Amino acid sequence: MHKAWALVRANWLAATSYKLSFMFSFGSLIVSIVPIFFISGALQKTMADVIKGQGDQYFAFLVLGLIALNVVSSAVNALPSGLQTATSTGTLEALLATPTSLSALLAGLSGYEVLLALLRGFVMLVAAGLLGAHVAWLRLGASIPIIALVVLAHLPIAIVTAAMVLAFRTRGPLPQIVMLASTFLGGVYYPTTAIPGWIESLSAFLPLTYGLNALRPVLLEGRPLTAVWRDVSILIAFTVVTMAASAVAFRAALGYARRVGNLAQY
Amino acid sequence: MIEQSTITSAGAIAFVTPVVSSSPAVVLRGLTKSFPKQRGWRAMFSGKAPESVRALTDVSCEVRSGEFFGLLGENGAGKTTLFKILATLVTPDSGSAIVGGHDVLKSPSRVREVLAPVIADERSLHWRLSGRENMRLFAALHGLRGAEATRRIDELLGLVNLVTAADRLVSGYSSGMKQRLLVARTLLARPSVLLLDEPTRSLDPISARSFRQFLREDVALAQGCTVLLATHNAEEAFELCDRVGVLHRGRLVATGATPELAREVGEDRFAIWIRPADQSAIDTLVARGVVRQVAVMEDVDGWSRIECDLRGGLDGAAEAIAFFALRGVSVARCEPVKLSLADLLERVLARHANA
Repeated sequence: MHKAWALVRANWLAATSYKLSFMFSFGSLIVSIVPIFFISGALQKTMADVIKGQGDQYFAFLVLGLIALNVVSSAVNALPSGLQTATSTGTLEALLATPTSLSALLAGLSGYEVLLALLRGFVMLVAAGLLGAHVAWLRLGASIPIIALVVLAHLPIAIVTAAMVLAFRTRGPLPQIVMLASTFLGGVYYPTTAIPGWIESLSAFLPLTYGLNALRPVLLEGRPLTAVWRDVSILIAFTVVTMAASAVAFRAALGYARRVGNLAQY
Repeated sequence: MIEQSTITSAGAIAFVTPVVSSSPAVVLRGLTKSFPKQRGWRAMFSGKAPESVRALTDVSCEVRSGEFFGLLGENGAGKTTLFKILATLVTPDSGSAIVGGHDVLKSPSRVREVLAPVIADERSLHWRLSGRENMRLFAALHGLRGAEATRRIDELLGLVNLVTAADRLVSGYSSGMKQRLLVARTLLARPSVLLLDEPTRSLDPISARSFRQFLREDVALAQGCTVLLATHNAEEAFELCDRVGVLHRGRLVATGATPELAREVGEDRFAIWIRPADQSAIDTLVARGVVRQVAVMEDVDGWSRIECDLRGGLDGAAEAIAFFALRGVSVARCEPVKLSLADLLERVLARHANA
């Protein structure tokens, strides 16, 4: 944990050394929330019945979906991107030569981006609250384990992608497929129940579906965590199974990279 | 004179050397490694196994504790591959490598606790962090915390003379400063074995000389590390190392104590400036076996510079000068020639073939 945190801290210091860029990234969040406020306001009447059971206000529904999507995007892309950067800048070789466990290294390489996405999500939620989003602020604490589970459930995808980067220097199609499917079938812009026909059944394979099904009742309707236990349990099961498989894939990729000698080449 | 020479199991010429410590820090036995070649499109879809390139062949050698060991070889000789195997970044196809009593394949994490590679590539530093923050990150990765980490960082920044620049961003450092920071970063873990892969390649000659002095005095002697230095600079290897191994196309073709190796393969090469270039005199010296491998290099104002091997070194030089004088040939200068890596390899390979 100490080692992973040291890497997260180093990435934070490096990112904040570009002060203007760092400030703009938060400034743009505030600006982007304004058009969402007006568009969702215009669609409120149309969407009111569709989103029933997941909050009564489409603005809050949409903002929470977009925050979750951003967090998922970071969880899926941070590790392969961190690995690619560390390979191309040459720091990976130095990191791998230290007595640091693989899990600490992976957590450290991706931790900063994920934590930043969570921070950006919180800033966006506060900005939405200031614009009148109906958020059950007292349930913020209960939403944290759900958000953590959403991140954890997507980490195996990141680990498999990182394994591809390590072995073949390409991310492969997996992260794009997951992000595309999560965006349109994960319940970000509309509940999955509104998806027509057989396409709806595809949403059952996406962890974001269960994450948002759990998050919205808790954070927008103020329901307790126990009310969404079914979705939370599925997220836990999904995480456990895919995490074990991804760990095997990553170790195999690492062994392959050590054999062919491209561990620190770019 | 070399007292004794033998052929090791790997076929390398070995010389009896002064003992630094009886316990070996690094033991290599029959280390072999090939890498797959890049395939073309047709080969990729034909299902054929990729061809491979042999990087190391049956490399065997021992480096004793406290020794400064040089690995000399041209580009592509296998030096970096050998170092990456020792650093557990590449797995060998066959053979074994033991570092501090730990096998690189069976106990890689133990190996990483005792051995540290100085990644000479400046890019391996975090340029957007200060020197101190770079050190703090790697102190944490090596398990150092709190006051102990701070003390060690301050001590090492002092050692590499970077105290005043410690809080500046590394992006503003000169190449020499970055190299010193890379060494300091590596020493954080108090490694007993240090790998240096061409550490002076990006330094100007003056910085390189002071960096070599720093490596010898402040790193090897003061810190008590066993140091393995990979270089293609023969002068650097002879200046720094107790013993040198010569790698050629993945094979360790010679190992020996530096003074003996330098004398055996290099110290009888001389440049002599004579006028006139009396070919018959030169031929007579060759016939008598006093000089060998003569090459007339240049002619300036009637003075010819010839390079040759002189039997017996300085004694041979005296004999040649006396003979030239007897034949009425003026000798303006006679000096030893510093051996280039190419010359050294040529001679070592010739000796290897004879052995």
